[in-house]
Amino acid sequence: MQSESSSAWLQVRGLSKSFGGARALSEVDIDIHRGEVHGLVGANGAGKSTLIRCLAGITAPDTGSVTIDGDDVRISQPRDAEVAGLAFIHQELNLVPHFTAVQNILLGAPKVTRAGIINWKKSRKVAYAAAERIGVQFSLERRVEDLSVAERWLVMISKALVRNATMIAMDEPTASLSDHESAQLFRVIRDLSRDGVAILYVSHRLDEVLELSDRITVFRDGRVTETAVRGQLDKRGLIRAIVGREVIAAVRQDRKATPGTEPLFEAKHVARGSAVKDVSFTLYPGEVLGLGGLVGAGRTELARLAFGADKLEAGSFELRGRPLQPNSVPRAVANGIGLVPEERRSEGLMLEKSVSYNMNVAVLRSLRSVPGLPFLSSSKTRARSNRLVDQLQIKTQNINEPIGGLSGGNQQKALIARWLTPGIQVLFLDEPSRGVDIGARQEIHQAIRDLADRGVGAIVISSDVEELAALCDRVVVMCEGLVSGEVSGDEVTEQNIIELSYAHLQTQGESA
Amino acid sequence: MNPTPTLASAAEASPAAGAVSLERNRRRVALVILSRYGTLIGLTAMVVAFTIRAPTTFLTLPNFLNILNQSSLTAIIAAGLTMTLVVGEFDLSIGYVASFAGLIVVGFIARDGLPMLLAVPLVLLIGAGIGTTSGFLVTKVRINAVIATLGIGTILVGAGFAYSAFPIAAGVPAEFVQISLGKPVFGIPNPILIMVVVLAILWVILNKTDLGQKMQAVGGNIEAARLSGIRVDRVKMFAFATAGVCAALTGTLLSSLLGSGTLAAADGYLLDAFAAVFLGSATLRDGEFHIVGTLVGVLIIAVGFNGLSIFGAPTFFQPIFKGAILVLAVGLSTLARRYAKA
Repeated sequence: MQSESSSAWLQVRGLSKSFGGARALSEVDIDIHRGEVHGLVGANGAGKSTLIRCLAGITAPDTGSVTIDGDDVRISQPRDAEVAGLAFIHQELNLVPHFTAVQNILLGAPKVTRAGIINWKKSRKVAYAAAERIGVQFSLERRVEDLSVAERWLVMISKALVRNATMIAMDEPTASLSDHESAQLFRVIRDLSRDGVAILYVSHRLDEVLELSDRITVFRDGRVTETAVRGQLDKRGLIRAIVGREVIAAVRQDRKATPGTEPLFEAKHVARGSAVKDVSFTLYPGEVLGLGGLVGAGRTELARLAFGADKLEAGSFELRGRPLQPNSVPRAVANGIGLVPEERRSEGLMLEKSVSYNMNVAVLRSLRSVPGLPFLSSSKTRARSNRLVDQLQIKTQNINEPIGGLSGGNQQKALIARWLTPGIQVLFLDEPSRGVDIGARQEIHQAIRDLADRGVGAIVISSDVEELAALCDRVVVMCEGLVSGEVSGDEVTEQNIIELSYAHLQTQGESA
Repeated sequence: MNPTPTLASAAEASPAAGAVSLERNRRRVALVILSRYGTLIGLTAMVVAFTIRAPTTFLTLPNFLNILNQSSLTAIIAAGLTMTLVVGEFDLSIGYVASFAGLIVVGFIARDGLPMLLAVPLVLLIGAGIGTTSGFLVTKVRINAVIATLGIGTILVGAGFAYSAFPIAAGVPAEFVQISLGKPVFGIPNPILIMVVVLAILWVILNKTDLGQKMQAVGGNIEAARLSGIRVDRVKMFAFATAGVCAALTGTLLSSLLGSGTLAAADGYLLDAFAAVFLGSATLRDGEFHIVGTLVGVLIIAVGFNGLSIFGAPTFFQPIFKGAILVLAVGLSTLARRYAKA
């Protein structure tokens, strides 16, 4: 631990940033001392990333100041951050794959020159020295594309050191590292910290943050809600600080008991890559099943697998006891499975096309005037569109106007409408109310429940625990590609979902 | 750092800006009209100008039929190209497909003695096969469309040389020449009728069938189309096959018109087709490719050429005119659209 906050090396004061009407950061103060490991935690969208982006010169804050050693610094572009001694390692490591490690370390760095000619020999020595400082074992002459993720992290850290970084921010460094590799990285972090390099450690893995950090700053809704020194907080306390409340009563009272009926849809040990490692769950007819967990837990990937959009590597899906294979989207659709994707604009909408077109594009065949002939019936098309616009209360001037002109909530309703066919059995909804106003959100929830009341199985993926608790009969929580638990009935509370979302180390220990 | 204007301060400023925004609105409407109807206005202006300058030569039924007749081959091949652009791809082989088709149709009839009613459908089928092959390479093998279609086209150039190395017995039957010279209905030349039929079929496919709607979905947002259960690869392959058939048809008609199979005869249609299709995308709709637009594009070029030749402009003006009108029309409509949005 270092000294008082007044002598902090880097001081952020009153930093605020709004995107449109939404406040991403609001009057944030934060101190970073020389050589400390500083943990940054908070739910998705709490403001951690925005703070990092402001410090890195990627996002311009609306108000606020940054001082280093008491001097005001203006960080308006990434170059300014580098000059100030700040380095940033994002999850998607910015390395040139077919360059060697040493080339990557030196890329863009000040090199040793004589009369404008780069002295490569001396420059390489600098790179080697940096790598040696953090105990790099592998050859720096290897291409980055041939290195493991852990080795690439070490390349990134060396790259920061060559630039004389006094602070290195790391975003989810252990997300794709094994336990052994993580332990190795922690040693490097502690060594750097001893040498006076501050580490800004951003992670959802609370156990790691608690173990490593000298101090922890908790973000919630764009504000700093807690700054704790090592030993002041335990995991439970940290979760409380992240959520903001201790216990939240179940919102939904009419939750259906686990139905004794035949399963509608089952996932059996499905897996693909590192995103979905081994997931099993059961969905019953007429049920709203939530899929909880943090961003990156593998839920979107799981939905894409079930929908046939990606290829399954292991395990199987069953619909009413019959295996669903081979997996392809048209096959899934023919079997009555639908998906409302997370990325509404890039994966869902044809923005230039009409509302009517967007609602009907998945069911064109059923709108033929004579079955067997390829011609569409405009009266059937119009009738279906008008019926769905009424049913889902989609606010539109005209079903023929481009859907790009509608509000986010109404676009989302149109995407749900796309799947409302007599044959629909299972509907996946990935973040159905993201970027949607509160009124539309309730209407969307109502539409999902109406669907379930008709016997359809709805699977709702949401990072908003409040939404899951309010909407779902049962919630399966995923963590790093595995199911970390399931809650039903009165156990469907925000607290329980969050605890399961952060269940990393337990599950990892069990599976190892 | 200074606080940037907030939402509240922007709202305070807006009442005073009412008159300005009305003015801006009017300008926006004008720009939308320009971006959508600019090409049509241009076409009309050309017709009016030529009529005033040369009333006796330009504004006559024979001249109009002549313009349409000359446009029909370009219109057919361009309509096929439109289909590939609708699904977000393109085909650089169409000119070579047309040339190759023109060679083999003559070969089949004059050398191999196939009856015309067998030879022509066979060549169209080959066109479909070539298009499907391109489509397969683009969708399944995932070769970039530039490389796949240029590769296929180049192979066809060589195949054309190889095919014409065997001497083709001189003279094609009169019935083959009649395909393009006949005027069975009201004295309207056959190519015009064929063009109308082809364009009508493609228009119906694109706008009135589920296949056509799927094609538009694929071109509109391929990921959304895929996640709606559309078999994206098949839809694209169909588009390429259609382009192949249209190219083969254009090549066949050209050989009929020339009365022989000539090497590289139809290669030049590639650029004409692209010019027409892109002119068409700046017509009526915002940058979308569609059949009616393509027809307008073809007519703009044909009317322009016709005017140039009536006024006795030297031949080198033709490509200059073609290039200039393309850049001008597409550029202006893109700019108008951008400012209409801003």
